[in-house]
Amino acid sequence: MNRDLRFTALKKTPFHSRTSLASRTNKYYNWNGFTVPTEYSTTELEYTAARNGTSVMDLTPMCKYMINGSDANKFVDYLVTRDLSQMEDNTVAYIIWCNEDGKVMDDGTIFKFSNTKFMLCCAVKIYNWLHDSAEGFDVSFEDATDTTAALAIQGPTSCSTLKNYGADDLELLKPFGMKQYNINGYDVLISRTGFTGDLGYELWTDPANAENMWDSIMEAGKELKIRPFGMHALEMTRIEAGFIQTNTDFMAAEDSLRPVRMRSPYEIGMGWLVHLNKESYFVGKRALKKEKETGNSERCLVGLDIDGDKPAVGSVIYNEKKEDIGIVTAAMWSPTMKRNVALASLKRPYGIKIKENIFAEIYHPEELEYKKIWAKCKVVKRQFFSPERRNKVPADLYE
Amino acid sequence: MSENYDVIVIGAGHNGLVCANILAKKNRKVLICEARENCGGLVEESITNFVPQIPLSVSSSLGGLPVKYKAKSTIALSESGQHIRLVGNQHIDHKVISGFSSKDADRYVEFHDKMSSFSKALGSFMMASPPRIMNNTFSDYFKLFKLGMNVRMLGKKKFNEFARMIGLNIADELEDNFENTLLQGLIAHDAVLGSNLGPRSPGSLINLLYRMATHDNSIFGGIYEIDGGSKAFVDTLLDISNKNKVEIKTSSSVKRCITENDKAIGVELHSGEKIYAKKIISNADPRSTYFCLLGTENLDTDVKRRIKHHRSKGKVAKLSLSLNKQPEFINCDKNDLESRMVIAPSIDYIEEAFNPSKFDKLSMEPILEMKLKNSDQSNPVLDIQVQYASYGAQEGWDKIKDNYVDAVIKLIGKYAPDIQSCIETKTIVTPDDIEKNFYVSGGHWHHGEIQIDQLFMLRPIPGASQYRTHLDGLYMCGAGTHPGGGLTGIPGKNAAQAILEDA
Repeated sequence: MNRDLRFTALKKTPFHSRTSLASRTNKYYNWNGFTVPTEYSTTELEYTAARNGTSVMDLTPMCKYMINGSDANKFVDYLVTRDLSQMEDNTVAYIIWCNEDGKVMDDGTIFKFSNTKFMLCCAVKIYNWLHDSAEGFDVSFEDATDTTAALAIQGPTSCSTLKNYGADDLELLKPFGMKQYNINGYDVLISRTGFTGDLGYELWTDPANAENMWDSIMEAGKELKIRPFGMHALEMTRIEAGFIQTNTDFMAAEDSLRPVRMRSPYEIGMGWLVHLNKESYFVGKRALKKEKETGNSERCLVGLDIDGDKPAVGSVIYNEKKEDIGIVTAAMWSPTMKRNVALASLKRPYGIKIKENIFAEIYHPEELEYKKIWAKCKVVKRQFFSPERRNKVPADLYE
Repeated sequence: MSENYDVIVIGAGHNGLVCANILAKKNRKVLICEARENCGGLVEESITNFVPQIPLSVSSSLGGLPVKYKAKSTIALSESGQHIRLVGNQHIDHKVISGFSSKDADRYVEFHDKMSSFSKALGSFMMASPPRIMNNTFSDYFKLFKLGMNVRMLGKKKFNEFARMIGLNIADELEDNFENTLLQGLIAHDAVLGSNLGPRSPGSLINLLYRMATHDNSIFGGIYEIDGGSKAFVDTLLDISNKNKVEIKTSSSVKRCITENDKAIGVELHSGEKIYAKKIISNADPRSTYFCLLGTENLDTDVKRRIKHHRSKGKVAKLSLSLNKQPEFINCDKNDLESRMVIAPSIDYIEEAFNPSKFDKLSMEPILEMKLKNSDQSNPVLDIQVQYASYGAQEGWDKIKDNYVDAVIKLIGKYAPDIQSCIETKTIVTPDDIEKNFYVSGGHWHHGEIQIDQLFMLRPIPGASQYRTHLDGLYMCGAGTHPGGGLTGIPGKNAAQAILEDA
């Protein structure tokens, strides 16, 4: 057998037997070395389930690292820009981390079990970075990517679905809270987190429990409009929610070949996650402090509300003098909001001080011809979609 | 909390002393904290026997440095007694070498001229503070441009030659030029001296250029011995310190830097005492400076990586043999015994000695540079630099030390058959001992390899050149900074300038 072929084959997640069965299109893609469905039936249908019922997504390919040791709490505080010193046990926090130049490497979530035990969940592999950062801290790491099966259960009826599954009192769990359950004989960690900007949960369990968990949840949500959803539908929901994605909305510092492509937190709208008054040092603090003091951030990441109904995918953004001032990183027609929305990276002062007279040049394909549209844009908050139910406690229940 | 001092220098090595005195002369109130009982660091214990002359720019900024130097000639010992004696003077050396090979003699002059012009081009760059590329300032680029111009001004032919040679290994160049293996061995020895390279390691040639730049741009010239030994040198520096009212606290090892708002504001001693100052200067090696003084919790990951990858494994041990009489070296006269004696008979011999050190092991046939002290008295001492004595040797220095010393003595016995009977006592200082006794991580002479990725603006690590560390208010003045080790005082002088610029 050809060794190279064997080693480059994509891994299957513990849910593969179920996701492949559910897939009508056989469309897969490579996510972090795993093969996962792009879409199961049609993206529109899956998107609709996410906004109106329960959607299920296989999250296993996310990088998951366990951080253990007596200095674990000090270490995570050192690693990320956000002040985590007051973080409570059994909560989750959204975080970003930077390199020495204060350029963002990735974003992710950190799960705190106790002062000596954390789990870091992110898109880009950083095992090496963790080890090199750990010099001087009493911590150890375990790459739990392959040993943890993860499922996202998102949507307005997700809480009811999971209650049917066996997660008692789940409606009382606060946003960014997490709770350990034992369901069908297996430990399942449920956190109220997600990437759709709606009510939603993420489940973390032993791979041996994966198929059973999938089946039970599908059964539990039968009357609650449950449907598996793939990457394309997720992309739609996350744009509506205004969430950023590494290497799509900004280049991860370690992945950009050109230093000018690296972005600081201030340049991707993540300044609120940088706590310069944090007592201890964190990676990139000196550079970020300097950037904040001098105010020499060059870009910004904003939400755009664009005239018309043609999505501005990949559009170049211009000012009234037709000078190139930025680029659209993600765009869509939002079926829920009935708005033509986009995330765009602009050169300052555009997007910060100058919000008027901004235009997108949209090339809309129409049967082998492009229609060129010059559409006016309005700079708006990135969070296009944020329903009340998202943060409601107790969460909405349906029968 | 009161700011008692303007400047605290951590470590009273010669660079620390030079730096402290230049600052004191500019009316700064200076305190030196030295961990050991004595000042001088590696110099005080005369780890190096032969030194270059302190450059005029350094001694003049100290207001003169009354140290007397004695020029030393070099003798490459041969088992057969066919020694090569070189003094660093082109005419004399040409004559000496033509006694072995007239072809080599002519080639030597050519080779020397070429190397000398290259080292001169590097020269001005060596003396000044290196540019800091990460700064992106005009003056920094101008400095770099000037270095490029210096080399380019040598002419197109020489410029091409420089580009060809810069990454070359010394063995190839020597074998292309010379046929006498002893001469090859001698030059190769000087190229790899104090480094972690063999003659066939890429980059060993620039090592020689670098050495020449501080040794009067000459291969065998510019080698001196200080009158009265290194003790006299340190005493002179201490006298000056006294005059300049530099306070020195010995037996006071510093535990860490005290910081406030990410700025160094003082030091905490191991005794618990805290002393405050406006500026802190570390004469310690880069690893100790960053990991101990600055503290790992105050460093960016990228910086930790660079410091961890900073190569600073020492390869030179010092063996001192006190003798009861003068040993009889084969075919050597009194003059020869006063020279720098080198045992490195050929390139292949050096490479063989180097090979085990790649695996942190020891060769029992190392290369030696020797000096006979008090040769005219009844109790002479033979000081020997033993190279490729690996730091952290796999065999374990505790176990192998005695065998190793015996092996070195046996090796000397080939050139001085009666050496065994002359020996009274023998002391060896291994790189491990240097680390322990002198607080130099890795026990490296130069606080870090002199190789192209750790030179100029990359010394000690990118982002920390120009004597400033990543922490505001904390500076470096040790051999780990540009232009590196050796008894030059340039790092100390340049560091002082950096501090005066910032003030």
